[in-house]
Amino acid sequence: MSYYDIDSILTDAEKIPCTFQLDIPDLGYLDNTPNQPLKAGTKVNLPLWLAEMLVIANTGGPDNKTFVTFDLPRALGNDVVQALKADPRAVPLRDQSAHFYGLATHMMDLSEEQELGSVLRKTFVTRAAEISLHARKVGGGGSKGKGKDEGSNLGIGGAGEDFLRGLDEWERKLFRKAHDGAKSGKEWMESIKKN
Amino acid sequence: MPMYGDQGNKLVQHAKRMQNLAHLPPYQTELVRAVTREVRDLDKDVASLLEPFQGSFDPSADQSTACTLLVNHLSMRRNKRCLLAYHRTRTDKLEELVWNGSDVLDLAGQQAGGVANGAAATVDSGASSSLSPQEEDYVRQFGDLLAAYKGQWTDIDLTGSLEPPRDLFIDVRVLKDAGEIQTEYGAINLTKNSQFYVRQGDVERLIAQGYLQKLG
Repeated sequence: MSYYDIDSILTDAEKIPCTFQLDIPDLGYLDNTPNQPLKAGTKVNLPLWLAEMLVIANTGGPDNKTFVTFDLPRALGNDVVQALKADPRAVPLRDQSAHFYGLATHMMDLSEEQELGSVLRKTFVTRAAEISLHARKVGGGGSKGKGKDEGSNLGIGGAGEDFLRGLDEWERKLFRKAHDGAKSGKEWMESIKKN
Repeated sequence: MPMYGDQGNKLVQHAKRMQNLAHLPPYQTELVRAVTREVRDLDKDVASLLEPFQGSFDPSADQSTACTLLVNHLSMRRNKRCLLAYHRTRTDKLEELVWNGSDVLDLAGQQAGGVANGAAATVDSGASSSLSPQEEDYVRQFGDLLAAYKGQWTDIDLTGSLEPPRDLFIDVRVLKDAGEIQTEYGAINLTKNSQFYVRQGDVERLIAQGYLQKLG
């Protein structure tokens, strides 16, 4: 992830729920009350680029507190994790967050969720296989026929579209790469035959 | 409720959209200005927060001020990253266009005589350009740099097509006046709507720039 990476910057804009641990007079605007102090205990959704530093920065006081504490965002909450355990392919990750995996990686850096990592790994592997299946099908379908369920003997006709719509940004890239690869391969084979 | 960093985020979303476009959308002058203004305001806030301490600020003694300062600092850092990423995405695109030989500065579509033997060299910028003045300068200088680099090899055209030609000669139609060009077989005057049978190597650049159209 480079400093200039656009997707990485957009991932850092994802918000996570935070709770302030002390009163701060000048930050009321974070809670929509610009002219009032921000009270300790206030819950605010903060973008990752801000939250990330605030949860690790030490106040420097005697009790060694941090400025804010955080919770896992809803995208990585128990409901979603349970659904992913049941069937990773049935969850539209994009509805949870457009940068689902990026967000999850950040959260795992900040917290010690042992289980999350293995659930996500299994999720990605299962979905990647499905993605490659779809990518190849589109590539093989040719550019003229836009028929929706051609070759749906695999049992992924109309439902396939729903699945593809639910891909997060990283998976979309994977899909595009797989699709372009299959397409160029096919084009190359055809050009060989011609000559 | 707008928050610090929101404008910067808009800028990066522009950059994201730009990645999938063939052309370069207009430079977001207003947005860039808004983000830099935000940084300046934040800097002023920091200065006025620190003023009463006379350079001896102790974070553990005044935690809430320390937190405000941290938030301000992070917001400025975030804006800087957004600004840099936006401009870098654009310059990457511009370099790509220069390498492809498209006439980046010719977007307003003005006539340019003598383009034939120079690359995307020196054309005056049009009134309605989608580049910022700095970007136009960048393109011009990058074009010069590329031309100087290519100049080291007289027998190889670094920006030429990678496809081996099927025919040495091709039919072309002139889409817009391109002036006179010199070929091994004499001079050709390329006036709009005329048609020629020419050596592909002589006109490849003009095709890439959209002056000629290959027929057949």
